Amino acid sequence: MEDFQTYIESGRLEQYALGELDPAAQAEVEAWAARSSQVRQELDELLDGIGFYAEAHAQTPPAALRDRVLRNVLAEIGTTAAVASAAVVSPAPAAPAPTMRVSASNPHLAKTAAVSPPVAQRSSWAIAASVALLLSLAANALLYSRWQQADSDLVAAQNSQARFAQTSQVMERRLSSTQEQLHVLRSPQEFKMVALAGTPAHADAKARVLYSATTHRVFIDVQNLPKLPEGKQYQLWALDKGKPVDAGVLAFATAAGDSLQQMKDIASAQTFAMTVEPTGGSVGPTLTTMTVVGNI
Amino acid sequence: MTEFYDRYSAALYGVINRIVKDEEEAADVLQEALVKIWHSMASYDTSKGRLFTWVVNISRNLAIDKIRSRQHRVGSRTQGLDDSLAAQRQAAPETFRPEHVGLQEITRKLVPEQRQVIDLLYFGGFTQSEAAEELNLPLGTVKTRARTALKILAKLIR
Repeated sequence: MEDFQTYIESGRLEQYALGELDPAAQAEVEAWAARSSQVRQELDELLDGIGFYAEAHAQTPPAALRDRVLRNVLAEIGTTAAVASAAVVSPAPAAPAPTMRVSASNPHLAKTAAVSPPVAQRSSWAIAASVALLLSLAANALLYSRWQQADSDLVAAQNSQARFAQTSQVMERRLSSTQEQLHVLRSPQEFKMVALAGTPAHADAKARVLYSATTHRVFIDVQNLPKLPEGKQYQLWALDKGKPVDAGVLAFATAAGDSLQQMKDIASAQTFAMTVEPTGGSVGPTLTTMTVVGNI
Repeated sequence: MTEFYDRYSAALYGVINRIVKDEEEAADVLQEALVKIWHSMASYDTSKGRLFTWVVNISRNLAIDKIRSRQHRVGSRTQGLDDSLAAQRQAAPETFRPEHVGLQEITRKLVPEQRQVIDLLYFGGFTQSEAAEELNLPLGTVKTRARTALKILAKLIR
């Protein structure tokens, strides 16, 4: 007695009535209802209450819907009924029809339907199919979320791959220029090394030119040059029979001594000299700013 | 089947439409429900309650599955709940239409708080704890309200 009261108070019956419970919990409530008339009565009240509430929301569907829905439903039922009767040899094809005449006044007809074998078999098939469907739905949801994950992973991977490709291109370029510089340095018979010493004004300035008389290529290698103010740049000159020829301006990295720089090709020269010119270089050297000079 | 349709379609359609809030979808769910009822007729047990309650429950569950899967498509669960609640609040006035005499009767008997709880639980497909969270109420309060409301409804029939 006490137990039933506790169970009634637990809120389980309301959950049952509101359709919130899973099949196992539903079965539990039904077992209680079967054991106790109080629980049964309480549950019926709640069910009737919610039923009444549902009925109060009744809304006649649009008339056009009636034929459409009925046609579709009958078509769907018809096909499965045909399949079922094909599988079982005995039942008369007309058998399912009367069981449909179920209403609130004679719900027991539904029970008789349960006894006939095709329906029972069909319902176990239906249960099996529903279980299979549920499993496949769960699997689909799982696969879908994995697929989404994989998709975003792929995008991330593609991005980082593109980044690596870029980096490796940059490295490639740097490597080839380094190799070229190395080649220049390791070919003393091809490249003549011309030491450029500081003029009296810049005694500690020091650089060298690597010059190939056969290929006319010129490289500059800075050891130490004074820092220049903004707007100024070092420019290399080749003096051929006393006439200055522009050999190009030094990039800032080159002037700082970071690497070799290939300058303009020079056909013939006896002396190399460097002056300070406005950024971009001048047509002729400003001799007063000469920083280093050296003869071949 | 035709007879069944004429007897129950209004009740089922009303509940389904109240849940999915879309006439086109409601029609689809109604159709699905009728097929399902037909196929599960064998498992109906008179000891479990009235046939009406049973068929309404099948329709209601299908409709709730529908909005759940819709919410799933739209986005996260929380967002879905918010949406559905907002939609419900908007939809509320429409249920006060004069042709729903039974409904008016009910609204007089139930206080708004009880109605809100029942609506969330029954038409929103919320569990009691979800409803408690949604309404910012202790679970116990939600349980009491649901219980009282159902009791009042049950008395109305007698």
